[in-house]
Amino acid sequence: MIKLDHVFKNFGPQKNAVNDLSLEVADGETLVLLGTSGCGKTTTLRMINRLLEPDSGHIYVNGKEIRQLAPETLRRTIGYVLQNTGLFPHYTVSENIAIVPSLLQWDKATIQQRVITLMDKLRLSPAEYANAWPQQLSGGQQQRVGLARALAADPPVMLMDEPFGALDPLTRISVRREFKALDELSNRTIILVTHDVEEAFELGSRICLMNEGTIQQLGTPLELLRRPANEFVAAFLAPQRLQLELKALKIKDLWAWLPHQHSPGYTTTLSADQTCWEAMEAVISQPILVQYAQEQKILDSSGLMQAIAAWKN
Amino acid sequence: METKETLFDFLQQQSGKLLEQTLTHTGLTFISVLLAVAIGVPAGIFISRRKKLSGLVLGFAGVMQTIPSIALLGFMIPLLGIGPKPAIVALFLYALLPIIRNTYTGIQGVDATVIEAATGMGMSRRQLLYKVQLPLAMPVILAGVRTATVINVGVATLAAYIAAGGLGEFIFGGIALNNTNMMLAGAIPAALLAILFDWLLSLLQHINIRKTRKMVYLLPLIFLVLSSFYLLPDTYRGKMLAGFTPEFMGRKDGYLGLRSVYGLHMRTLVISDMIMYKAAYEKKLDVISGSSTDGRVKAFDLVVLEDDKHIFPPYYAAPILRNATLTKYPALAPALNRLAGRINDSIMTELNYRVDYLKQNPETVARDFLRSQHLLQPAGSGTEGTIRIGSKIFGDGYILASIYKMLIEGYTNYAAVTKTGLGGTKIVFDALTNDQIDLYPEYTGTGLLVLLETPQHITDSIIGDKQKVYNYVSQAFKKEFDIVWLTPIGFNNTYALMMRKTDAEKWHINNISALTDFVNKRQ
Repeated sequence: MIKLDHVFKNFGPQKNAVNDLSLEVADGETLVLLGTSGCGKTTTLRMINRLLEPDSGHIYVNGKEIRQLAPETLRRTIGYVLQNTGLFPHYTVSENIAIVPSLLQWDKATIQQRVITLMDKLRLSPAEYANAWPQQLSGGQQQRVGLARALAADPPVMLMDEPFGALDPLTRISVRREFKALDELSNRTIILVTHDVEEAFELGSRICLMNEGTIQQLGTPLELLRRPANEFVAAFLAPQRLQLELKALKIKDLWAWLPHQHSPGYTTTLSADQTCWEAMEAVISQPILVQYAQEQKILDSSGLMQAIAAWKN
Repeated sequence: METKETLFDFLQQQSGKLLEQTLTHTGLTFISVLLAVAIGVPAGIFISRRKKLSGLVLGFAGVMQTIPSIALLGFMIPLLGIGPKPAIVALFLYALLPIIRNTYTGIQGVDATVIEAATGMGMSRRQLLYKVQLPLAMPVILAGVRTATVINVGVATLAAYIAAGGLGEFIFGGIALNNTNMMLAGAIPAALLAILFDWLLSLLQHINIRKTRKMVYLLPLIFLVLSSFYLLPDTYRGKMLAGFTPEFMGRKDGYLGLRSVYGLHMRTLVISDMIMYKAAYEKKLDVISGSSTDGRVKAFDLVVLEDDKHIFPPYYAAPILRNATLTKYPALAPALNRLAGRINDSIMTELNYRVDYLKQNPETVARDFLRSQHLLQPAGSGTEGTIRIGSKIFGDGYILASIYKMLIEGYTNYAAVTKTGLGGTKIVFDALTNDQIDLYPEYTGTGLLVLLETPQHITDSIIGDKQKVYNYVSQAFKKEFDIVWLTPIGFNNTYALMMRKTDAEKWHINNISALTDFVNKRQ
């Protein structure tokens, strides 16, 4: 879907902002570009919709080299979400959402319908907010309008630059949760930039950890944790390592190490797709019953701990 | 004694003229602002895209702003002549800076994230400009238009100096004639116009951003309508055009007398005396009011029409000073009186010709004259006090001030400084009474009619005789202001109507009565 092939970009003679970067993002995948400020992740993102032009290398979207298209045409097929939303202060909420469909000259009724659908899905009551001005909304609401605007023309590809970065921690968690649950996003190819490790692990199907313009490691969250490619990756993840593991690890991954206990009378059931973090929260109060395939196991705190320890070794 | 005219009376009498001037003023202001918007907004957009040029363009507009308005108007005359064209161009140049700068600042001030979002969503540069940058910069741009409008209402008063009309006609006429009512009749409406336009534009500026989108289209229309006001007063025009100084327009021994005594009614323009002669020469004006000893009469091939009904009083020049000054500096009067009777009309015209037309330095001309009269002496010690010599802004004044300076320095031990260019009669006379200058050359006629406001019956009884006028004026000044008139210098710089020699010969016009007949027949 998206492919970067030996891409270079520098802003001065000294150091490459992006240095020989190659990666591919599959259809429907969410790739997170993770790294500290100045590592080149935003530069990479902005080259994909040609807000920046690479010095050398090729970028393909949908199999097409992006320079074959006029920048405007390309950008209208790519949803773009910014950290500070960039909502037009002189447009109402519904006008903001309708920008790209209008640029594409959709007919008015279709645009109207699409705006209402998106506002409903993003829990922004059209009756209340359609004619409101962006500055009248809370930060979380503004970010949702920004997301709706990026989704409006139904682009197959979404680029998100620190989409939750400007929100306070509580709002960030709730917006992130909605984001995960949003069906509009489930089948899209998404590249998301963040410096927040927890966010990367929560949202990314794969994570690309960058430093000084190069990829340090590209893989699933668990791969990064279990087999860090180098010292940098290990050190980058070290401070939150246990928490990240518990959140990345699903109960089914531990299935082999969980003890078999058949005792009737347990009704509280957890899905095997849930994370160890969630399982730990549940077993603190009482043992629980987990179903995986045709099998059922009883999970208590000591059994869970032993399984995690066994998995890690 | 006649009762004093109130401002209200004046406004009532002159309501037609006032309306005409107000419309002209509004028109001048808005034509120039409209042009400035048409050029300045695109220029502002351009430099917001090519930032390297911003310094250059803003610098140029800034320099325009720093040129004194009267000088800028002066520069325009050789290029565009007199009348509305140079005035509009000058006002346009004044309005340019605030409009370019505010457009630039407004566009620069649009949130970078919004620009990035707009670009990232696939807007073209044109869409970005019209849908995002201009609407968001609009309040700032409108603030610039507002500033430009207010500046222009003020500067447009000066347009009266180059025959473009407007409220400046009353203001400068009032200053020249020491007529407060006339001055206020121009100044108050001008101030009200500035306040009114400022207020209206501030309403526009603070209107909901959404509605300004429509305003963008409406505004030029409103401006266009206001601009067209300029054309209205032009609809009634005669065939011969006269250009008179603001002072001449309002004087009993000026246009008022021409109308009442000769019955001369012409289409008139108010114009500064600095450019009047040249305008007549270039056939922009047909008749002008000049002074009979002006050097430019000779330079521009004009002819003075005889005042066959004697409405112009004698204007014999003599230095005037406060009585206290004479007491304080006893050697002063004898030194000044050395000039008495030395300059006749033709000498004065010649001196003025050298200064006004040959552009010689008044000091050089003064020195040459004194040398030819054997009056030039090396300067004394200059230790016994300093005499401040004033003058009006006409050629006579500069030359006489220089001559007096040399006489004082040569024949006394006082130092002398000149403060020339003190504007019209009112300004220089106020400077004298307020002890800001010690002496200046004044004309007997001006003293009689302007400063003393002598009742009509007295004026009528003495106006034919130069000696009676001098005696009356010097006695009345002593009594009323404690100011002394020294002996007259000799020349009579009276008002005169003049026209091109070729025209006068073609139509056999040699005096004002003949001109009146000619004008009345042609209209």
